[in-house]
Amino acid sequence: MSAGKISSGSEIDDPGYPTPEENYLTNSKGLLSWIFTLDHKRIGVMYLVGVSVAFLVAGLLAIGIRLHLMSPDGWFLETGAVKAITGDKPTNDVYNQVFTLHGAIMVFLFIIPSVPAALGNFLVPIMLGAKDVAFPRLNLSSFYLWMFGAFFFISALLASGLDTGWTFYTPYSTTSNTSVILATSGAFILGFSSIFTGLNFIVTINTMRPPGMTWFRMPLFLWATYATSIIQVLATPVLGITLLLLIAERTMHIGIFDPQYNGDPVTFQHFFWFYSHPAVYIMILPAFGVISELISVHSHKRIFGYRFVAYSSIAIALLGFLVWGHHMFTSGMSPVTTIIFSALTFSVSVPSAIKVFNWLATMYKGSISLTTPMVYAIVFIFLFTIGGLTGLHLGTLATDQHLHDSYFVVAHFHFVMVGGTLVAFLGGVFHWWPKMFGKMYSEKGGIASAALVFIGFLVTFLPQFILGSRGMPRRYATYDPEFQTLHVASSIGSLILGLGLFVALFVLLKSLFSKERAPANMWGGATLEWACTSPPPFYNFQRAPAVDDPYDFTDIVWDSVSERYVRVEPERKLAPEEQPAHAGE
Amino acid sequence: MFSVPNLLADEASGLFFPESASTFSQQSDTVFYAITIVCVLFFIPITIALFGFASKYKKAKGEQAESQVDHNTKLELIWSVGPSFLLIAMFYFGARGFMEQRTIPEGAYEIGVKATRWNWSFNYGGTTQNSELHVVKDEPTKLVMTADTVIHSLFIPAFRVKKDVVPGRFNYMWFRATKASEKLSDEELAARKQVYKDASESWSYEKEGYTEDGYAFYDLYCTEYCGKDHSMMQTVVVVHETREELEAWVEEKGKRQPGVDPVTYGRKLYESRGCKSCHSLEPGVKLAGPSYAGSFGTSRELTDGSSVTMDYGYIKESIEDPKAKIVKGYAGVNMPSYKGMLSTDDIYCLAQFIKSLNPNAAKQEAEEADSGAAVAETGTEADVTSASE
Repeated sequence: MSAGKISSGSEIDDPGYPTPEENYLTNSKGLLSWIFTLDHKRIGVMYLVGVSVAFLVAGLLAIGIRLHLMSPDGWFLETGAVKAITGDKPTNDVYNQVFTLHGAIMVFLFIIPSVPAALGNFLVPIMLGAKDVAFPRLNLSSFYLWMFGAFFFISALLASGLDTGWTFYTPYSTTSNTSVILATSGAFILGFSSIFTGLNFIVTINTMRPPGMTWFRMPLFLWATYATSIIQVLATPVLGITLLLLIAERTMHIGIFDPQYNGDPVTFQHFFWFYSHPAVYIMILPAFGVISELISVHSHKRIFGYRFVAYSSIAIALLGFLVWGHHMFTSGMSPVTTIIFSALTFSVSVPSAIKVFNWLATMYKGSISLTTPMVYAIVFIFLFTIGGLTGLHLGTLATDQHLHDSYFVVAHFHFVMVGGTLVAFLGGVFHWWPKMFGKMYSEKGGIASAALVFIGFLVTFLPQFILGSRGMPRRYATYDPEFQTLHVASSIGSLILGLGLFVALFVLLKSLFSKERAPANMWGGATLEWACTSPPPFYNFQRAPAVDDPYDFTDIVWDSVSERYVRVEPERKLAPEEQPAHAGE
Repeated sequence: MFSVPNLLADEASGLFFPESASTFSQQSDTVFYAITIVCVLFFIPITIALFGFASKYKKAKGEQAESQVDHNTKLELIWSVGPSFLLIAMFYFGARGFMEQRTIPEGAYEIGVKATRWNWSFNYGGTTQNSELHVVKDEPTKLVMTADTVIHSLFIPAFRVKKDVVPGRFNYMWFRATKASEKLSDEELAARKQVYKDASESWSYEKEGYTEDGYAFYDLYCTEYCGKDHSMMQTVVVVHETREELEAWVEEKGKRQPGVDPVTYGRKLYESRGCKSCHSLEPGVKLAGPSYAGSFGTSRELTDGSSVTMDYGYIKESIEDPKAKIVKGYAGVNMPSYKGMLSTDDIYCLAQFIKSLNPNAAKQEAEEADSGAAVAETGTEADVTSASE
């Protein structure tokens, strides 16, 4: 195992050495130095701020939805305070716009760019021991395209809103008198942002891996990012085409999606989901990558079944292209097509299950530190497992006929997107925060936020499964009184969830004002980002770092004198079979 | 042909499901429960391992892991391939149930469905169209469905069936209801109706739990988002004990009954034929179309600047050719034409109903003669006479 291992030679980068005065945050000053930066780390930080703001907006809309549904006839959006903003617009229209924007902003502005663009930008080059991504200018332009797309969304909101649902189904979207064109243009531009990021990562990972880092010595986060990038580059253009066709149908009535002009609305659904189902994996695959890192590092144990985990990412990316039809099981597709899509859907559940088993096996006999990121990772596994398993009810045709477009579906995808991606994103942010900003947050606060998010999430979304199987349709501004109890429970949960998220934000922001500096290797990780200082210097590494096994924790030991993890010299290291139970000195 | 032992699917409403009232609901629930059991059987060990490992292997900082084992190909193959067999079983039973839903038996009782924003209209053949879905117990019912402008989806939770209703194409659905709707006794129904009559309110399905004909019902929802009143696009399903009972109901709904005055019948048409979703009865309340209140006999300004008196003739024209004369402020509203869907008697009754909403209509009594003549031309007078005999 240790054969061919090279000592991590660079003195300045060694953990334990004093942090250099200058880092990427301080090497140049002023607003312009950020606006025109080509540094992947600064772009990552700008993305982090951007997606967080988008998340805040979409999250507040979600709270608005939940509060409105406290009463069967609708409550919150009827109240005077809201009416003061919305004027005499019918409450149901307001509700429809609120849930549309919640979904559209969450999907296009938050979840898709969250892990890849914010964490990925920061981490991919450092994990490769590189100075930057392959195309730094393309990288910056991707961020500005994101801003530009976000601007279009805000314009749509301020113009006449958007009421089509984030799915833009035709012929509703071709006839709605809200700002469909502004919003679809926004999504079109965001698509380019996503393609640029994906393309950049593919080239970076293909061409800039350092000597010694073979494909199977890459950290799993890079595998996940690579798989995600493939989807971004291959699937997003289809969304672009679809949205352009939608705009053409709306303005020129070309007769493709609207039956009024001899178009077929179901064609739109095929086109849309051909992108948007793979997009689900754009949302969840990077989360898998984050969790693989978190579980391994905080268990101080090699990831179990590295190859299975790596291959499963690629398998998911490829199979994910073949299952879009499962969003349309009640659309009236031919029975043969429907059954084929159902079969393919089951096949994609296998690689996801493999990952869960591998994470658990990684924890087995590890040395687990229950840090904030680890707690988030555990929450992730719990919630994602529920999300994944309930997908089986929906992939099964007979039951999907009942559950389709009900709250069961809403609960299912929130377990995957929020319980999965959002929780992984938070776990990732807590994990790499000390690296990004050189500051450590309060662990107690972090764990409290994870606990609140966990409880709030379950209270919000578990009742929605039952609402759905009892027949409550989604996207309803009002509902039958028999559903009220479960709706109220769900609304209360959403407030707890919201509180948990604010606690997380507070804990992180507060750490920025702390005087104490985080050490280079906060958690005892073995991937390359832990070999540079916290925060990293502008060029990441003074010298190209030596590439090591990313999951070999045996030579990283806790030094109780300096209170940090240090890498012991390879020659002092014992062979695995000679390892004592406690390797600390 | 397809039978899974019905182990858990409860006849009565359990925690997870509404009442089970079709042959599909029992199958579907059995599959649901079977999948849920498999999920729980996986979830419990996963959770025990997750929390168990997290507490058992929680170590102080710096302690090395007990093991650095990084793979076990045999184990990994088992947990990759093993669950696949369960997935194949789920797929199989799901697909079988689905195929049965897609194989429509011959001789099914056929009902046409038209979904508009935001109304359901069920066509029972002849002139009977109604906003309620009525079917027969133990007999297959086939729905032939289409929509006018946007996609809707017809969902009956108690039957566990759902199918999108797409403009520009026909989608089909079938089911076999298993439980007839309970019916109120005539006295009870009359008593309840009296309350509404006294308060001059319209019947509340939600409060009563019975239709206006006294039947208990199952909910029918629209589940494809279709705009403002998507959540209000609901109606009821009534299951009749016998085919005769259903046919009698259809027959009755097809025409105005002797002794029913035109205003009452007009109100019924207003409620059942979709008028009410776009035309309010309160003065000044604008829905998609103008309010009916106080409009009869008044002069209406049109989009082209001219004006027209709202009389029987104008009402008939607006029902059959809504785009001919559009009231100012409602340009671009797409009311569907009801030509051929309402008899002249129906239109007469609707007009009478609208007239009853204008307290000043007495003043226009004088003009009645003219309108009467217009109606007579179209033969309504004859219908009215025959209907009231």
